[in-house]
Amino acid sequence: MSKRLTKLILFYLILIGLWQGLALLKIWPEYIFPTPLGVLKTLLTGFEDKTFIIGILISMKRILIGYGLSIVVGLCVGLLIGRIKTLDETVGSLVLGFQALPSICWLPLALLWFGLSESAILLVVILGSLFSIIIGADTGVKNVPPIYIRAARTMGAKEIQLYTKVIIPAALPSIISGFKQGWSFAWRSLMAAELLYVGLGLGHLLMMGRELNDMNQVIAVMIVIIIIGVVVDRLIFARIENKVRERWGLA
Amino acid sequence: MINLEHKSGQTEELKKLDELKPHKLIDLRGAVCPHPLNLIRDTVKNLKDREILQAVCDHEPTAKENAPRFCKRRGYPLRVIEQNGVWQIFIQKIEKTQPRLQVVNVSKLFKTNYGKVTALDNISLTIQEGEFVCIVGPSGCGKSTLLNLIAGLDKPTQGEIWSNGNRVTGPGSDRVVVFQEGALFPWLTVMQNVEFGLKLRKVAPEIRRTLALDYLKLVGLDEKFHTSFIHQLSGGMKQRVAIARALVMEPAILLMDEPFAALDVYTRETLQEELQNIWTESHKTIVFVTHNVQEAVLLGDRVIVFASNPGQVKAEYEIDIARPRKIDHPEVFLNTKWITDDIKEELEEPEHRTNVEEMANR
Repeated sequence: MSKRLTKLILFYLILIGLWQGLALLKIWPEYIFPTPLGVLKTLLTGFEDKTFIIGILISMKRILIGYGLSIVVGLCVGLLIGRIKTLDETVGSLVLGFQALPSICWLPLALLWFGLSESAILLVVILGSLFSIIIGADTGVKNVPPIYIRAARTMGAKEIQLYTKVIIPAALPSIISGFKQGWSFAWRSLMAAELLYVGLGLGHLLMMGRELNDMNQVIAVMIVIIIIGVVVDRLIFARIENKVRERWGLA
Repeated sequence: MINLEHKSGQTEELKKLDELKPHKLIDLRGAVCPHPLNLIRDTVKNLKDREILQAVCDHEPTAKENAPRFCKRRGYPLRVIEQNGVWQIFIQKIEKTQPRLQVVNVSKLFKTNYGKVTALDNISLTIQEGEFVCIVGPSGCGKSTLLNLIAGLDKPTQGEIWSNGNRVTGPGSDRVVVFQEGALFPWLTVMQNVEFGLKLRKVAPEIRRTLALDYLKLVGLDEKFHTSFIHQLSGGMKQRVAIARALVMEPAILLMDEPFAALDVYTRETLQEELQNIWTESHKTIVFVTHNVQEAVLLGDRVIVFASNPGQVKAEYEIDIARPRKIDHPEVFLNTKWITDDIKEELEEPEHRTNVEEMANR
């Protein structure tokens, strides 16, 4: 583990060193090719004057609301179409179709419906993650080994108990994978939507960097976005996923 | 003194038959026409369940042949005492108990892409309380289908299934299935798996725990595995848990669908032995499906042989070997051989032959 960490630190040190070296050659002006130090300074001031903190909080608030709604709706729909054939044949095909549509493509529709508002952004975030969550739950339910259901029925489980005590736990690994994918789609959609909408989120800060010709800010915000994405994905979802897979005997 | 015992369980009762007060006394001395047996038959017909008839008779064939035959056919306890050419005949009327399980003219069709397939064709079976019945047959003969129908997990296309006089229309916890490996829930611990059915029944947690512990002990699972997850267990331990999970529901009938098929030989022998012990202690009614003739002979009171295409009962054998039976017992070996030879003769098509040979070799 420590060996791996050393390698990682070394790699990034070399990368930053190369970057700094390249910047020192002054081939490009600083507003095109910033220095690591400049980016670090912007990062620090960004957190000091709280613009980054506000950006993070606003973006997090949006994604939590949007993603939360997605989970509620997606789980219900996914669990139902996984078990009810007619729904699968009808709603299921619609879900697959929408999944093929990049979620930012919903933005024009959202803008026409809601105007430049919070609701438009929420819609894009919801639609960005909804279909992954539905598909995760649906696949999980469809792949529950039939023998689990027969075993539960022979022990007297009724339809609702089958759902709560067998189907959902058995489908959990797949449901979690759907959540994980849904999260990363939601995060991407949110950033894309915020680029086009003035509203103090991280995407907006990124766009502001462009408008002010401030490359330091652009890179700094990009780093913040990457870090949030990685932290949530690796530290939260990957851990839950591994725990569940291990306990289910899938690992 | 002639003492006839028809059912082992009734010996105690039988001894006391002449000490109990008879409910009806008839004197048949001198009666030749009408035949004394007719009089006995008519009198017994009017008795209630468990009532005793005392008949005094001087007709030797009635006392020594006709009455015993009459009683044996119906399973009535009988005691005959001779005193100076006069016979005292005691007969207890026992109303026929309901068969534990009845399968009546059951057929099952499956629709596949190639058309309809008859999985079961007009099957009828009667299984009595406490019987251990083994159903053997090659794969695809519909034996597991029948088990599913009995369990109520599937519905017959034709015919009826009755459990203790009630028509089977769906799953019920009077009929619990032990499946082949892979039916335990991996997200629950061993203990939680065993408690699962009780939880559905809303049994209080303390009682649940006690019962689960009892049955895990019965199937001989070491206590240190109680908190393990399923994927941490060996195949044999998994099946122990599966049996405990079914038994804890205290079903009237235990349905077992090739529960030991995936186990290695040694583990299988151990579990077969333990299943016999469990059955001897609990006297549960067990319907055990297997493709292994030897296993069927080892375990069953009765072996029912299925043939495939379409699935039907080919033959039935009573296995009359003292318990506990061991797999290397010569009688088990002989019975296995007889049944295997019989099946071979009966199914002459070469494809069936290979199936049957396969069955016998396992």
